[in-house]
Amino acid sequence: MTCEEAKTRMTDYWSRTLGEAGETEFNAHLASCETCRSEVSRVGALWQGLDLLPLEEPSGKVRDRFYEMLGAYRQGLAAAEARPAKRWWTIPAWQMAAAAGLVAVGLGIGYGVRGNGPLFGGAPAEVSQLREEVANMRQLVALSLMQQQSASDRLRGVSWAYRAEPSDREVLGALVSAVNHDANVNVRLAAVDALRRFSASPETGRAALQSLSKQTTPIVQVALIDLLVDLKDPQAAPELRRLSGNETANEGVRQKAQWALERLQ
Amino acid sequence: MAEVSAGKVARLAVLFERYHRPLFRYFVSMNGNREQAEDLVQEVFFRMLRYRTSYDPAQSFTAWMYQIARNAGVDQVRKRGTAQVVDIDTFVDRRAELVSASPGPEESVSRGQDLALLRRAMDQLPEDKREILVLSRFQGMKHEDIAEVLGCEVGTVKVRVYRAIRALEQIYFTLEKEKAS
Repeated sequence: MTCEEAKTRMTDYWSRTLGEAGETEFNAHLASCETCRSEVSRVGALWQGLDLLPLEEPSGKVRDRFYEMLGAYRQGLAAAEARPAKRWWTIPAWQMAAAAGLVAVGLGIGYGVRGNGPLFGGAPAEVSQLREEVANMRQLVALSLMQQQSASDRLRGVSWAYRAEPSDREVLGALVSAVNHDANVNVRLAAVDALRRFSASPETGRAALQSLSKQTTPIVQVALIDLLVDLKDPQAAPELRRLSGNETANEGVRQKAQWALERLQ
Repeated sequence: MAEVSAGKVARLAVLFERYHRPLFRYFVSMNGNREQAEDLVQEVFFRMLRYRTSYDPAQSFTAWMYQIARNAGVDQVRKRGTAQVVDIDTFVDRRAELVSASPGPEESVSRGQDLALLRRAMDQLPEDKREILVLSRFQGMKHEDIAEVLGCEVGTVKVRVYRAIRALEQIYFTLEKEKAS
């Protein structure tokens, strides 16, 4: 073994991955080479010393965020798998329809070549499937981003919520959670605005009302009052009345609550 | 991972429990930022799900995972726009921020070595050398897997690991002399 060869095997020697024969050969070289022996001893101590450097530990949030993300992903997959597995073209009725359709396609091509009309109408089942997959992906992206530690990422997650289906309860839940618990006021404000996307759901009004009673930041309170007015939620009146009469509340918020009460009456 | 790839996505939890700490330490070693490292761990597992069908069971899982990790690190630098050059060199150049000003009690002299000094030496190591040392020494990866991650020959990995530890030694002794003088 040459000194050059020994150098490339030193890390294996320190890690004890040379194997018995390799180690014997390496030791034989060390016995005959003072330079390599000295280097193995000196640099090897440093190699072993790296073991003593303290190990960084992640916070518990990493685990929470992972399982939330995994849960959302599995939910999306389950929804996708709930679709009929059978392909439309394998169903006899569709096969017959397809045969008849070929004639229509021929005619359609004729029209298409001559004019600007669409050649094919598309397969509704596949379009629907594709649409659902896109919706699942949008949901996943929105939920995943809203779990990020960085506020700018969470803001991006909120903006993705606008692309979710208005009936998506998962995203609605994540937005409500952001309004109630996010540490960053900009994220809370953006989430309040995004709730409008889900205005058809009765849960939106209820969540906005509950959140209003918890919020302490005036700007978020004002945004929630605006939302309740837009939702035309009559059940908001008692809370708005309480807020407008609360002397410890911010003056602007009290005025806004009074204004909202008049609008809702 | 083969099971995850086949559709049993819940099995990813097993991989998470096994690898999220090593991944976190890899990212902290590379960019020195705990918060970003946690984001990146999340991103790596997200990408594993997203690209799970691209996993080849014949390939080393560790190598595949660290390829994703490296890409995620590079992408994060690009996304944050905090670097002028968007490549792995920039990604790993953040480690210096983690240098502690004063050593903790656990970093007292041990085995004749000053661990605080050793950490500083690691931080000053050029990024490519630091990365290969982190992968081989802290992540316990085989040379074959590192070669797959870095896209080079196993022999090249061995030489580069050797050069990295020698470079570390030189920095360490330079710092030691500075401290003594």
